[in-house]
Order: sequence, then C-alpha cells, then structure tokens
Amino acid sequence: MNGTSAVEVSRFALRRRALSRSFRGGLKGGEYTWALAFVVPYVAVFLAFVAYPVVYGLWMGSDASLYRELFADPIYQSSVVNTALYLALGVNVKMFLALLLSGFFMRPGWWMKVLLLIFVLPWAVPQISTFISIHWMLNGEWGFLNNVLYKLFHVEGPHWLNDRWTALGAVIVSHIWKWTPFWTLILLAGRMAIPLEIRDTARVDGATGLRGFVHITFPLLANLYLICTLLSTIFLLGDFNAVTFVSGGGPANQTHVLATLGIRDAFEIANPRLGVAAVMSALPMVIPLVIILMRKLRTAEVQV
Amino acid sequence: MARLTRRSVLRGSAALGATALGTTQILGFPHVAKAAATTASVWFPQGFVQDEDVALRKAVGDYEKASGNKIELSITPFAPERQKIIAALTSGVVPDMMINNPAEILQIYGWQDRWVDVSDVVETQKALFSETALVSAQAYNNVTKKRGMYGVPLRAAVVPCHIWRPLVEKAGLKIEDIPKTWDAYFDFFKKVQDNLRKQGERKVYGLGFQVTANGVDPYNLFMAFLVAYGGQNIVTRDGKLHLDDPKVKQAAIKATAYIGGAYRDGYVPPSAINWNDADDNNAFHAKLMVMDVDGTLSTEVAVKEKYPEQYFKDMVTHGVPGYPNDNQGKPVPSIVGITQGMVPKGAKNVAVAKEFLRYFIQPKVIGEFVELGLGRWLPVMPSLAKSPFWQDPKDPHLRGYVQQGLLGPTIPDYYVFNLAMAEVRNQHVFSLAMIDVAKEGVKPEPAVDKAFKRIEEIFAKYKA
Repeated sequence: MNGTSAVEVSRFALRRRALSRSFRGGLKGGEYTWALAFVVPYVAVFLAFVAYPVVYGLWMGSDASLYRELFADPIYQSSVVNTALYLALGVNVKMFLALLLSGFFMRPGWWMKVLLLIFVLPWAVPQISTFISIHWMLNGEWGFLNNVLYKLFHVEGPHWLNDRWTALGAVIVSHIWKWTPFWTLILLAGRMAIPLEIRDTARVDGATGLRGFVHITFPLLANLYLICTLLSTIFLLGDFNAVTFVSGGGPANQTHVLATLGIRDAFEIANPRLGVAAVMSALPMVIPLVIILMRKLRTAEVQV
Repeated sequence: MARLTRRSVLRGSAALGATALGTTQILGFPHVAKAAATTASVWFPQGFVQDEDVALRKAVGDYEKASGNKIELSITPFAPERQKIIAALTSGVVPDMMINNPAEILQIYGWQDRWVDVSDVVETQKALFSETALVSAQAYNNVTKKRGMYGVPLRAAVVPCHIWRPLVEKAGLKIEDIPKTWDAYFDFFKKVQDNLRKQGERKVYGLGFQVTANGVDPYNLFMAFLVAYGGQNIVTRDGKLHLDDPKVKQAAIKATAYIGGAYRDGYVPPSAINWNDADDNNAFHAKLMVMDVDGTLSTEVAVKEKYPEQYFKDMVTHGVPGYPNDNQGKPVPSIVGITQGMVPKGAKNVAVAKEFLRYFIQPKVIGEFVELGLGRWLPVMPSLAKSPFWQDPKDPHLRGYVQQGLLGPTIPDYYVFNLAMAEVRNQHVFSLAMIDVAKEGVKPEPAVDKAFKRIEEIFAKYKA
C-alpha cells in the first residue's frame, strides 16, 4: 500500500463517517439508539394503520372497470354535485362565520366567557345523537319544527327532508351548526396570539374597527384561516355522519355525497370495491388540497 | 440496567411486534382461538325482540351440551352485522358459520364460489323443508358454472298486512268490511282516511306504503303489487329476465301507478319517501297510518309484552285469510325470504359448523327456535305449522301468518333465480320509479321504461 492510496482510504472513511453522521441526524451512539427506540413503534403503527389501509384501498379501487360502473350509476353524478355544494357552502359559510364570531368573542367581560361556553356546546356533544335529533325535528308529520310552526302560526311547515334541496340544506346547516364552534375557537386562539403592541400601534395610527380588521387582523390571520379552510375541506370530504343521520341520503338517494355513496356501494350493494372506487374518485380533489396544505405548512411562518 | 444498543432495540421491537401480533390474534381474530377442533364461531343478527336472542342462545346452549363442542356466538345488530359480514368476506377473515344478512349475500358470494357446499347437511332433513326454502338455499356458482346448495334453511319471513282495528272502526267501518280483491282492498283504506279526516284527524294516513329508496321494504312492497297484477314471471326459474313480456310490463306500470299515485294523492304519510326499514314500524306504532304492508310480525311482537291489548285486540294481521286476492279473485302467491345458515370457504372448522347446522335443523330444535322468538319468523318446514303454538286459537296473528308464508302459495325471491335481481333491489330501481310518479309528476309508463332500462343494464353485468 503506497502513501497516496492511504490518503484516499482515509478520505473515503471520513466521507463515510460524514454520511453516516448525516443519516443519524447528528446523533451519536446511545442518542441514536434511543431515537430509534422511539421511532420504531411509530413507524410500525404508521405502516400497519396508515400505509397498509391506504395501499389496500388503492389496490381495491385499482380496476378501471369499477369506474365505468360507477360513472354509469345515475346516483353518482348527483353525489358529485352534492359533494361540491357541501364543501363549497359547508366549509366557507362555516369558516366565515367562525372568523366573525372569533372577533365577537374577543370582547371583554365575564358574560362573554359564559356565552362562549354555551356556544361551544354543539361541538362538545356527540354528533350522531344530535344529527338523529335534527332528523326527527325535521320530520314533516310529527317533527318539533313543524309542530311549533303549527302551534304558533297555524302554518303547515314543509316536509324538510322530502325535497333534495331542503334536505341537502338541512345537512349543510347541521354541519355548520356542529362545527362552527370548533373553528371559532381555533381562530379565536389565533386572534389572541396577535401581539397587543401591534394592535395598539395600529390603533394609534387610526386603524380601528373595520380598517383595523382589514389592514391588521385579517392579514395576520390569513395564513391560519387558509390552513383551517383546507383542513376543514379535507375533513368534510370524508365525513358521512351528517348526511347519513340527517337526510339518510334521501329522498330517493338524492342527497348522497361521495363518502356516503361509498358506504352504500360497499355494504348495501355488497360491492366493497365499488365503494372504494366511489371514495377514490375524490382523490383528484384531495391530493392537490393536501399538497397545498403541506406547502403552506412548510413554507409559511406562523404569523400569529 | 442493560445497555441499549441498536441491535437490542431492533430485536426488542421485533419481539414486541410479534407479541402484539399474537395478542391481536387472540383478542381480535376468533379463528385462532378456535384452533381446537371442537370450537366453531357463529355469527347471527340480533333479534327485533329480545326473545329471539334468548331462543338462539338456548339452541346454541343445547347443542353445546349435546355435543361437547363449543360455539363462539356473536350476535350483532342487523345493519352492522351486514357490514361485518361483507368486510369479513372481503378480507377473508371469516367465521365458521354465518347467516345470510343481507339475504341475497348467499347468491352474491355463491356466484364467486365463496361458500362450502352444504347439501350433505340439508339432505338430513330434505323431505321436511318447503320447496321455497330449498330453492332459496341454492345459488349459481360462476366458477363451477352450476347451481349449488350453499344455504341451510333456518327460518322464513313473508309480507303480511298490518291494520289498526280502532282506526278502521273510528272511521265508521269494520274489519269485516274490507274487500277481498287487490285494488278494492287498498282503496278501502283510502276511504278510512277520508272518513277520519272528516272527523278532524289531521295526521292519519290510510296506507303505510314505503315509497322510499332505503332498506328492503320498498322492494318487497313493489314486488307484492307486481305479482298481484300478474307480473310474476319478471324473472323465471331459469334466471331469464322477461321485461319484454307485455303482462310483466303492464303489471309494473300498474304497481308503479297504484303505489306512486296513493302517495301523490295524499294517502301515504309524506315522510314515507325517506323512511328506512324501521320507520314504517315506528310510524305504524304511532298510529300515523291505518295499515302497513311489511315483512314479518315484527310490528305485532314488538308490543306483545308491553301492550298486550294492542297485540290481542287492536292489531289485525292479514295473512291468509285476509291478504287480498288479485283483481280477478285468485290467490296471490307471497314472496318468501329465507334465512339461511352458510359456511364460508376459509372457515377453520367446517366440520363443527356443519354438525351444528345438522343439529339446528332438527324439527324439534328449529321449531322451538322460531316459537321461542314469539313467532316473528316462520318455520321452514310445513309440518311445524301444525304445532299448538302456530295454531293457537287465542292468538290473532300467528295462524294467518304461517298460512300465508308456509302453507299458502309461495315463491322464492327473484334474486334466487338471478343474482342481478339482488342489485336491482339494492339499487332501488323500482323505488325510483314509484318516487318519480309519487313526487316528480312522471307518468307511470315512462317511469317504468326508465326502470326497465336500468334493469337491463344491471342484468348485462351478470351474464354467466
């Protein structure tokens, strides 16, 4: 072995060590082992309960003929329209209300805290029982709402769940009622995190009321608002409770969304692969949302 | 404390994983626990009344005593059990025996060659079963290209009419006044409603038709009308579809027109358009309508213990006699659904499952099983209909029910002849036609044309 090759060997060893250190994230010896001990269970759980179901789902919905069958189903098209409406109205109305209400709950006073406590109740109570209650309240013959209308005004109320649009409206309103408190709390936390000095300085400069909101509060909340909206959209795409328990997908299967259509195809039609295909058909919408969300989370600094 | 090394962590994790896997196998997957040759796992849907579950547990307990074998019995509510079964068959983690819930599952998975042939079990009591029960136990196997016996008939159900006597009498009419032919029979309840409205009853409807696209009730209702109007041959026993038969088409139009028209004209509770299978029972109990056309005696047995007066005096069941004849005065055959016991391929203990089924279908056992369940379900052997329980003169419901579903003219459901009919049922093709007429102002002919087009598309998928 000559001198040059000895240098090369030691360079190679150094490079290997650097690579290894980089692979270990700068951790040494026992630290690395402990890190591994903490990571392995997570990886195992991730593989078993996230990766496997996703891959299995993709495999189940991978046959092109399933999509031909799905698109031939007359209910599929109306389900896509319903899903779009559910997302557009459900998410945006809810988030806008949450934005306004978060400002309202910033007001000082002990009664505001009591009001906030009452306000969050719809979110705190179990959703299935509340959606079933709403279903019963809206029953055309003996439901609470129509009975009140009749008792007070001698008016026969409409059969709320017998018409596609009123039934879908009931589903959307139920969702908004249920989840607005949650997102209000998130945005309220965001508002509370805006440093007092910024608000005071703005106030001195004359940015109060609407101007303060437009020029100070909203720009600082914008990122949080966008991330909440994206998250809510992703959650809502997979939600089937409101539809299942408020309208039942009826009348005549006219208020199904993709999530409930998937359940129907899987278990009522007894074709699980078709059910998976119904849900998979939402992927072209979900994947861009997830990518945007990830980019937002990675690149944007928390502004609040 | 031992030093933590990378190898030890990986070894430990592997051991932990193996332990966790073993634990989940023990806790979550019954098939491991039944590795012993004398244990079988059995899945049943929960009964509508508690007595049904008590009856089942007794039969299982008696078998365990008699055989020394162990049955791991899982009783799950109707709708979740349906999902559980489909999930099991999809994943391949199956019990040793299950019930056909949904009923057509026997034919759906029979087509895919997923059941163990149980003709040897059925053979032990073959002479005693009704013909409808035996035919319903069969399915076409698209792998072997022939029909096989994949079900063991356990109990049956038919669709009678349920009537509130006090509402009929309040309208100034009598149960005995109810006509015997089809249209006149149902028109009678329109008259009851008209009379009640004149008395200021704001929310009572004559007919409890399930004009909905949920559950199995609307299909059963439509098929009862279709058969009554002469459309019995919509699918023949050879599995062929006969939508081009003018009698079938005419019957479908009449059925759609009558049911949809009754809703449109205000003789059916408006909420019926969004009912599920339990809603018509609830609405009937709430006296929202005078009569209901609904499968089994669930409506009656639900009140037997708590409100005996309703069971023994107020409720009338029209099986046979009572169930209307067709418009020409001839008896209408009733479509009978059969609950079957099935052994899935992949079951770990087929021998015990089959032995349990052989025990279960002995006339004494199977007869007691349906009787202890208050008679919500029918026996599948005509000889059992002669028992004192079914012929009890003091009971106003049982004799007519057993006569209609077991002794009278019956036919199997159509998905037995062709699996495509199961999808027609589950896609609610006829419901949509009824709703088109009831709510959307569509004429019956185009509504039926649309339905027939969809049926043809569905049948095209199931070409053997």
